[in-house]
Amino acid sequence: MAIETTLPDRPLFQAANISKSFDGTQALTDVSLTIRCGEVHALMGENGAGKSTLMKILAGLFPADSGDVYLDGRKVVHHSPFQAMQHGIAMIHQELMPILDMTVAENLLLGREPVGRIPGVIDRRVARAEAERMLGLLQLDFPTDRRMRTLSVAQMQMVEIAKALGQNARIVIMDEPTAAISNREIDALFAAIRSMKARGVAVVYITHKMDEVFAIADVVTVLRDGCHVATRPATELNNDTLIELMVGRELRELLPKPCEAGEAIALSVRHLTRAGSFRNISFDLKCGEVLGIAGLMGAGRTEVASAIFGLKLPDSGEIVVHGRPAKIRSAADSMRLGIGMVTEDRKGQGIVPAMSVAHNVTLAALDAYCTGPFIRRKRERAAVDENLRTFAIRTSSRGQPVGELSGGNQQKVVIAKTLLTNPTIILLDEPTRGVDIGAKAEIYTIVARLAQQGRSVILISSELPEIMALCDRVLVMRQGTIAAELAVAKTTQEEILRYAMPV
Amino acid sequence: MPCPSDRAVSLSRLRAWIKQFGILAAIVIIAATLGCAKPTFLTTTNLVNVARQISINGILGVGVTLVLLTGGVDLSLGSVVALTGVIAACFAHPGVYPLCVPLILGIAAGMACGATNGLVITGGVPPFIATLGTMTVARGLAQVISDGRPVSNMSPAMIRLAGDVGGIPVPVIILAAVALAAWTMLTNTRLGRHIYAVGGNENAARASGIDVRRVKMFAYTICGALTGLAGIVLAARINTGQPNAGLAYELDAIAAVVIGGTSLSGGAGGIGGTILGALLMGVINNGLDLLNVSSYYQQIVKGIIIVGAVWLDRRSSRKEG
Amino acid sequence: MKRSALTLTAFLLLSLGCNQPPEPSKAASGEKQIVIGVTMMNMANEYIVGLNDAMAAQAKASRVKLIVNDAQRSAEKQVQQVETFIAQKVDAIILNPCEVEASSPAVDKAQAAGIPIVNVNSETSSAPTAFVGSHDEESARLAMEYIAARLSGKGEVVMMHGYMGQAAQIKRDRGARAVLAKNSGLHLLAEQTAEWDRAKAVTLMENWLQVHGDKISAVFAQNDEMAMGALLAIERAKKKDQVIVVGVDAIADALQAVKDGRLDATVFQDAKGQGSTAVTVAVRLANKRPVEKETFIPFQLVTKENAGTFAK
Repeated sequence: MAIETTLPDRPLFQAANISKSFDGTQALTDVSLTIRCGEVHALMGENGAGKSTLMKILAGLFPADSGDVYLDGRKVVHHSPFQAMQHGIAMIHQELMPILDMTVAENLLLGREPVGRIPGVIDRRVARAEAERMLGLLQLDFPTDRRMRTLSVAQMQMVEIAKALGQNARIVIMDEPTAAISNREIDALFAAIRSMKARGVAVVYITHKMDEVFAIADVVTVLRDGCHVATRPATELNNDTLIELMVGRELRELLPKPCEAGEAIALSVRHLTRAGSFRNISFDLKCGEVLGIAGLMGAGRTEVASAIFGLKLPDSGEIVVHGRPAKIRSAADSMRLGIGMVTEDRKGQGIVPAMSVAHNVTLAALDAYCTGPFIRRKRERAAVDENLRTFAIRTSSRGQPVGELSGGNQQKVVIAKTLLTNPTIILLDEPTRGVDIGAKAEIYTIVARLAQQGRSVILISSELPEIMALCDRVLVMRQGTIAAELAVAKTTQEEILRYAMPV
Repeated sequence: MPCPSDRAVSLSRLRAWIKQFGILAAIVIIAATLGCAKPTFLTTTNLVNVARQISINGILGVGVTLVLLTGGVDLSLGSVVALTGVIAACFAHPGVYPLCVPLILGIAAGMACGATNGLVITGGVPPFIATLGTMTVARGLAQVISDGRPVSNMSPAMIRLAGDVGGIPVPVIILAAVALAAWTMLTNTRLGRHIYAVGGNENAARASGIDVRRVKMFAYTICGALTGLAGIVLAARINTGQPNAGLAYELDAIAAVVIGGTSLSGGAGGIGGTILGALLMGVINNGLDLLNVSSYYQQIVKGIIIVGAVWLDRRSSRKEG
Repeated sequence: MKRSALTLTAFLLLSLGCNQPPEPSKAASGEKQIVIGVTMMNMANEYIVGLNDAMAAQAKASRVKLIVNDAQRSAEKQVQQVETFIAQKVDAIILNPCEVEASSPAVDKAQAAGIPIVNVNSETSSAPTAFVGSHDEESARLAMEYIAARLSGKGEVVMMHGYMGQAAQIKRDRGARAVLAKNSGLHLLAEQTAEWDRAKAVTLMENWLQVHGDKISAVFAQNDEMAMGALLAIERAKKKDQVIVVGVDAIADALQAVKDGRLDATVFQDAKGQGSTAVTVAVRLANKRPVEKETFIPFQLVTKENAGTFAK
């Protein structure tokens, strides 16, 4: 690929005074952004700050209400991702959308398949060569005839990036590219970003992770509540100053202090086994305790919690709730026993996107707002308004569909829904995934408050600092079994990791 | 932090209004045009006529709305209409049984078909296939029971079900009652809320402690019961139970529901839209008949309007983001 | 899962076995019994059911065996059924065609296989060995002439068509128009299809009454189902004393309505005559005896006066 002739610090792309509102909520107000050739530009802010909205406007997914976009100093308008691509702007989405049953080559060339001598028939030889060329741009060497389904998330991401580069993208927008990949894969991703940089391609990088910003970004732009707060070179910033810019207040201590657990046992699990997921899981959960479950992805943590909550039934084993053996065949059963769960898969199992915020909040606890079969609207509304306040859920109205909220606010809706059933045992599966710092702090406070009220919490998390700060004890799971039970006060993150690693 | 402001609330409400208003506006415009072209269109008697003519499709539409909201579909409507009509007619000969017998048996037969659909579907067979099976079986049963012949000789009491009370056709009264009950159920009861949740995200509904099987069983069974009711009304309207009645009625009913803005993938929509959708189709049908437009063109116009209405609807909802 | 599939298969096989007709074995006399394959257009149609009943009765009397298949309005299915008959080596085939063109391959195939084929009730474009039926034009002519006579040749008529493009619709339309052309005082006020369907006819008649009001003096419906629907709508509008309603086919409902003085007239298409003649012709062909190439069973007008004689 020919290296761009543009000078490194000439503005490649400018967005000027962009504004956008949805349904009465101002998502972006008068935001400007300048991107230069070969720079890695980090875009930061809490969830709901407007990062994704801004990027989707740049990528042509929807139009701005006002404001202009300039490429090489010329004003451009694009109405679709396809037009944006023609202008050299590509977006790598947070949730990748490859066609899983097609090969790598077919995905790479989707929509621009080379046609051979016979009209309408794809020339496979040319297609293969082209696909290999595209992968070569990132020094990737897996065979182009592998099915997408057999690739890891990180590999799929690489294919997407290769596809963008292969189509001569000059700006690649990446929306939280490291959300679902491992550390080793992150290194490979960063190598890919550096090679793009060397070619003069600009990368816009959206993330929540501070360390990544300082590792890869040249420039950082911070948005807050839809407004531009600051654009600074990364070298001029540190952890604290960045958080301050994002949150708008100094965060001396995000995490509350853990509190003392009681002695009574709320939940007791004995020899719980489910073939292929976990085996012989036994532990006790005390009243007022926050019990952490650490482990790598796929260690069986989510599966254990789902078994306790009745979503995926165990093959054998015993669950005792408040001293009584419990027969749990469904979520309805466990909710009757006072168990609540915030699932890891927010979109799949947490929210009903088309339903309003209000109806999502009361969905699990509707009985409390009914007389006979009828819903008492007034009582329901009062409860919803109270919850919107308590959990600081940002929404244009209680009638707004949940699907339109930012990730953090969706998560708070799910937590509010779960707690509205007034459970005494609460299972939280990765409750802060994809959630911004402000919302994280709010969720931590909620967890601490639950424990203070004498309720018991199981916290599944991949973020060890979270477990260290919130939990009394931690179970470390490895390949479907409990590898260790550690008292948080007497352990370190390193020790936990050691137990979590496969032997 | 932006609180839920009154301005925003009224704005989203206005948008919801316009969305419903879209079909209503279409109906008003079409009606006005027809009224100019053919003044008889806007007479009271003709408007009563239109109401009478949409009542069967309307009742079926209300039933299938419940099913579509759960994310399912029911293709068996037309055949079940024939089956329940035949069964009701068999028990409606004058002076044999009181009126309640054919009524109860017809509705019960419809419920049984609906419950069968529900059982098979919650047992894991996709709704399209399950109801396709019921469609064929019900049509066969209708022919077996009637021996392939229309079942006639109907009691005056039964025929009166298609007559008028105080100038208002009984089928219209039935439709109004059914629509009101279904609307109340969907908007004001727990079960209604659960129907939306199941259609909007089945897994999330299950994780919220909702008995998804029960909700689906309910939707299909009620749809079946309403289909039975429609079958009885149709039998009364044509004075016979016809084993070959109701061909493709399911498609008309589904069309009305979809024109009314209910999503085919479930979770969004409602009864109000369905009634408007049925009304739009009825107005077009009646108007084209009055204008003596050939049936060839009638089909073309109907097809374009169905697709056009849904296209407009989807376009406006996409713009909202 | 596997087991239940097995059970299901076993059940299906079993039930098929139970339905298997007894072997087309030799008759009591020791001589080979004649087997006739019959494919009917649509057994959901009352007239066709009557036709079938007449055939069954005649077959019983002639001691021949009928294998009856229902094509359910599908010409393609009909062709398949005839192919199966040929494979079964039946002695003769009776075809009640779904469509003029699309059912023709069935005739060609039977002819090629040397099996005599008799068309009953309607035609195909390929010539069968013999045809038994009626001139459909004649039915509409009889009905329309009755209307003309009742109105003394002056008045406004509306016509309900069957499925557009079907042979019966085309011929009945032709027959009706021939009469209209002869009577300059009769005007065709409106025409529309109600697809042979009673419910559709009710709606269509309601709409016609709405727009034409008291102008309509007679309704000609191309079958009795539609005539009954039109009659219901007119009776509900309390206008029966002003409008004459006439249908075709003389189905049981319509005969009863004529007897009761509600329906003015219908035209009797002789299902019994067609059915029994078809079987007789087929049997003669199977026995290699000569037959008439075409047998036309006449239509008869049914009014209140003679309705009693057509009781079914």
